[in-house]
Amino acid sequence: QETTIDKGEKYILGGIEVTGIKSYSEQTVVAYTGLRVGQEITVPGEQISEVINKLWGLKMFSDINFYITNIEDGKVFLELNIQELPTLSDVKITGVKEKKTEEIIKDADLKKGKKVTEGFIANTKNYLLNKYKKQGYLNTKVNINTVEDTDTTQTNAVKMVVRIDKGEKVKIKDINFEGNEQLKDKKLQKAMKNTKERALGRFWKKSKFIPEDYKEDLTSVVDAYKEKGYRDARILSDSIIYNNDNTISINIDVEEGNKYYIGDIDFVGNTVYTDQYLSRVLGIKKGDTYNGVLLRKRIQDNTKPDAEDIANLYQNNGYLFSTINPVEVSAVNDTIDFEIRIIEGKPAYFNNITVTGNDKTNDHVIYRELRTRPGQLYSKENVIRTIRELGQLGYFDPEQITPNIQNANPQEGTVDIEYGLVEKGTSQIELQGGFGGGGFIGTLGLSFSNFAIKDIFNKEAYKPVPMGDGQRISLRLQASRYFQNYSFSFVEPWLGGEKPVQFSASISHSINYRFTGYSGDVDKNQRFNLSGLTVGLAKRLEWPDNYFTLSHAFSFQLYDLKNYSTGLFNFSTGMSRSFAYTVALSRNSLFTNPIFPLGGSEFSISAKLTPPYSLFNNIDYGDLENQEEYQLKSSSGQLIDEDGNLVSESGKDPVPDEAKIGQTKIKWQEFYKIKFKGAWYTRLVDKLVLKTQGEFGFLGAYNNDRGIIPFERFYLGGDGLGNFTMDGRETIGLRGYENQSLSSNDGSTIYNKYSLELRYPLTLKPSASIYALTFLEGGAGFDNFRDFNPFNVKRSAGAGIRIFMPAFGLLGIDFGYGFDEDPFTNQVSGWQTHFIIGQQF
Amino acid sequence: EDIKVKYELAEKLYNEGNYKKAVRLFEQIATQYAGKPQGERIYYFMADSYYNIEDYYLSAYQFERFAKSYPRSEKVEEALFYNAKSQYKLSPKYSIDQAETNTALEKLQVFINKYPESEHMEEANKMTLELRTKLEKKAFEIAKQYNRIKDYKAAIKSWELFLSEYPGSVYREDALFQKMLASYNLAMNSIYNRQEERLNDTKSVYNTLKRFYSQSKYLREADKMLEDINNELEKFSKQS
Repeated sequence: QETTIDKGEKYILGGIEVTGIKSYSEQTVVAYTGLRVGQEITVPGEQISEVINKLWGLKMFSDINFYITNIEDGKVFLELNIQELPTLSDVKITGVKEKKTEEIIKDADLKKGKKVTEGFIANTKNYLLNKYKKQGYLNTKVNINTVEDTDTTQTNAVKMVVRIDKGEKVKIKDINFEGNEQLKDKKLQKAMKNTKERALGRFWKKSKFIPEDYKEDLTSVVDAYKEKGYRDARILSDSIIYNNDNTISINIDVEEGNKYYIGDIDFVGNTVYTDQYLSRVLGIKKGDTYNGVLLRKRIQDNTKPDAEDIANLYQNNGYLFSTINPVEVSAVNDTIDFEIRIIEGKPAYFNNITVTGNDKTNDHVIYRELRTRPGQLYSKENVIRTIRELGQLGYFDPEQITPNIQNANPQEGTVDIEYGLVEKGTSQIELQGGFGGGGFIGTLGLSFSNFAIKDIFNKEAYKPVPMGDGQRISLRLQASRYFQNYSFSFVEPWLGGEKPVQFSASISHSINYRFTGYSGDVDKNQRFNLSGLTVGLAKRLEWPDNYFTLSHAFSFQLYDLKNYSTGLFNFSTGMSRSFAYTVALSRNSLFTNPIFPLGGSEFSISAKLTPPYSLFNNIDYGDLENQEEYQLKSSSGQLIDEDGNLVSESGKDPVPDEAKIGQTKIKWQEFYKIKFKGAWYTRLVDKLVLKTQGEFGFLGAYNNDRGIIPFERFYLGGDGLGNFTMDGRETIGLRGYENQSLSSNDGSTIYNKYSLELRYPLTLKPSASIYALTFLEGGAGFDNFRDFNPFNVKRSAGAGIRIFMPAFGLLGIDFGYGFDEDPFTNQVSGWQTHFIIGQQF
Repeated sequence: EDIKVKYELAEKLYNEGNYKKAVRLFEQIATQYAGKPQGERIYYFMADSYYNIEDYYLSAYQFERFAKSYPRSEKVEEALFYNAKSQYKLSPKYSIDQAETNTALEKLQVFINKYPESEHMEEANKMTLELRTKLEKKAFEIAKQYNRIKDYKAAIKSWELFLSEYPGSVYREDALFQKMLASYNLAMNSIYNRQEERLNDTKSVYNTLKRFYSQSKYLREADKMLEDINNELEKFSKQS
C-alpha cells in the first residue's frame, strides 16, 4: 500500500507500529524516530525520509520501510518495518597460529557486535588474501562462512568461521631477460627493487612475488633503460611459470630500441631567469645521453622537497603558481630536441600567517620563530625551515607539524599559510630516594621547558604549572645526612622579546660534611661548601649564516673548606675562588627532530678564561717557597726547619709551608680552557643515520710557575654521565672503558675523541622515541701538551639502544668493547655495560 | 525498582542543587531511560548539572545531544543557548589556539538566527561581542609583535590585513597608530632610493589616523613623527 511520492497529504499520526525488530524494543525505536502520536505528519514527506535517513545512519539495519496500515478520520497509522543486520558474536579462525588470529581479529576489525553485511565479509576476505600475498603466499585461499549463533542469549547473532589456507610460500627461482643486449641480466635484475631471485645470504629482501610490486618493477626495468638513453625501450611480454618445487620463473622479453642523445634544449616562458642560468641549474647539455629519469628529476624531483631543481628555484623565490613542463619537440635520428615550457605566474606573497593547535604555548613564543612573515615573498625553502625550527623548539611534536597552504590566489598573487601544531609534554619530574654512600639520599628534580614566569602569581595558570612562554626552569634538590645540594636554573630564550637573545642564569649551592665510613658518623666540623653563580647571554647571528649562535657567560664559584682535606688542595681550611668568562661560537643546523636528527650538523668552539691575575699582582709564584712569608714558622713566629727546630738555632734551611703556597696559588683560580666539538648527521638510506663526531679540549695556565689548576679537568672513559664533583671536572664519555678510567687521578688537561655512530629509529612517536645504534669510538686524555698525540687513542666498538620519553627524558643502555688496555689494570678493557640517563652522546 | 529509586533521588538532589551527586546518578540511569518519556527530563537535567558543576566540555556536549535527540522538546531553545554558553565558557585566553572560541561563535550565531525573540538574546549578543573582541585582540597582539621584533615590513602588512579584516574593531585606533609606527621606523631606517616613497607612505598613514581620530590619544606622538618625516622629506625636495 505504498503511496506515490508527489502526493504528500497532511494527517495526524494515529499510531506507529514497529515490525521486524529482533533485539530492540519497539519503544526505543519509536523514541529514536522522534515521531509522536498525535503530531501532524505529511505522508509521504520530509519527516518520513528524515526518519529513514536517521535510521540508516545507525548502520544497524539492512532494510527500512514505512507502510501505511490504515487511514481513518484524517489519522494515519504507520508501520515501520526494519530488518536488523545480524551481529557478530564469535569468530573462529583456522589455518593460522593461535597468536596470529588475535592480530587478524584486530586488524580486520572482527570485533564482537559488528554488523555482518555482505560487504563486510567480502572486505575481510580481500584483506586476508592481500595480507598473505604480500608475504609471498600466492596460493592463499580464504573461505568465510557465517552460521547462526544459538549458544548465546543474544538474538540475531552469527558466528563467523574463517578458514585460511596459506599454501606454501612461493619463491622466485629465476628471472630471465630476453632481447637485452646493452644491459646485462644482472643490471636489470638489480633494477627490480622488490622482485628478487631467491639467493642465500640476502636476508633483508626476501624473494617473494607480489603482483603490485612486480608491475612497479617492470616499470623500473624500463626506467633503467631510459637512464641509459634507450628512450623507446619497452617490455614486449612477460610470463610467469609455476615450477613444481613451489617456485616460479619469470621471463621478460624486452625491446631495447635505439640509444638517444639530447639535442637542443629551449626554455620557453621564462622571464625571471635567463636561459643560461636555467640550463646551468638543469645541468644537462646538448650531446648528453638521453636520460628521461634524470631530466625529470632536474626539473622537479618529487622525492626530495628541498632538491635543487628548477621547480624549487621558482618555488623558493615566490613563484608558487609556476608550472614547468618538458616537451619533446622533435626527434631526428637519435637526437631529441626539448622545449621546457615554463608558466611562471605571478609571484605570491604571504598574507595571513596563522598557527593552530597551540593549546598551551602562547602565540608570541611561536610567531617570533616563524621564517614566513606577512608580506614576504613565498618561499618553499622558508616553509620547510620553519617546520624544522618549530620542531626544534621542543614544545611540539616534530612529526606532526603540518603547513597548510590556504587561499592561494593566482590573480592577486597572495597566499595564506597555517601551521598546524600538536603540543607535547614539556615537564619532567624526578623524585627518588635510595641508599647510597651509607645513608638515605633523596632527590627532587623539576624541570619545565615551556614555563611562563609572568604567571607565577596567577592562581588560574597552575594547571599544573604556568606554561606557554617558552622559558625553561629547573630546580633540583638533593640531600642526605652528609651532603646537601641545591640548584636552580632559568632560561629565557628571547630576553626582552625583541631579539633572540637568550638569557640564562643558574645558581647552586652544596654543603658536604666529612663522613667517616667506619662508624657511619657525620662530622659536621669538617665541611666543604661550594657555591656557584652563572649568568649568560646567547645571541643568534645573521652572519656568516643564521645558524650561528654567539654566547657569553660569566661564572663565579666559591670553594670554602673547613678542616676538610681532599686530594685536590694541599690545605684543609681556606678558600678558593673562580671567576671566569666563557665565550662560545656554535652552529646548529640539525633537522626537525632534536631527539633523532636526520641530518645537519652541530658544532661549537669555546674558550673559558679567568683574568690573568699573576700579570699584575707581583707575586713570584716560582719563588714562594724561598720567601719568609711562605715558610713554616713556630708558634712564636720564627722560621723552623724540617725537624721542627728553629732555623736560627739549627742553621738548617727553612721549609716551605705547602698549605699556604697552595692556598695562594688558587686563592683566585687562573686558567684558560679551549674546547671544540663537532657532529655531523648523514642520512644514508631510509632513516638510517650516521653520526660522525669529533671533540677536543685543552686546559692551560697563563703562568707556568703557578701551574695548571686542579679544577676543571677532563676525565675520560665510560658513560660520560656527570656526577656531582667538587672540582668542576668534565666527564667525557668513551664507551668500552670504565668510567673515568682513561685519565690520571688528577685528570687530563688535554683530550681528544672521535666517534662514528649508526642510528636507526624503531619508533618516533611523541610518547616514546626509540632508536638502536652501533658505534666505533676512540679517544685519549693526556696530562700535558707534550704528551699529546691525536692518533694515540683508546679504541672501542659496540651497540646500544636509546629510549626517549617526554616524562623521563633519555634512557639507554650501551654495550661497548674496549680494544685497548685500561691504564690502571694494564689489561684489555673488554666488554663494558653503560647505562645512560638523561644525556645524549 | 533500583533505577526508579535512583531516578527519584537524582531529581531530588538536582532540585536541592547538589549537582555533583545528581549528575553521577543521571549518568547511571540515562541509558535505561533513553527511549522512554522520562529520558527527555533526565538528559536535560544531566546537561544542566554538568553546566552547574562547571564541566563545560560535558555540558556543551550533553546540551547539544539533547537538542538533537529531542528536537521537539520545549527546552530546545534553552539547550541551544546553554550549549553555546558552555562553549563560550570554554573559550581560552587570547594568546593560544582559539578553536573553542570559533565553535562558540558558530553556536551563538546559530542560536541568534534561530531564536531572534529569545529572552537570552541580549546575553548572546554580549558573548558574541566579547569573543569577537578576543579574536581581534589576538590578531592585534600578533601584528604588534612584528613591530616589537622590528620586522616592520611584516608589521605593516599585518596591520593592513588587520584593518581590512576588522574594520569596526575597538582596536582600530591603536592599529592605525601601530601601523604608523612601523611605517615610520621602516622609512627612517630605509635605504636611500626607497626612502622618499616610504616617508610618503608614513604620511598617508598619519593622515588616515588623523581623519578618523582627530582627538586621538596618540596625536602628540604621531605629530612628532610627522615632524621628523617632513624634515627628512625636505632633503628630497631640495634635490629636485
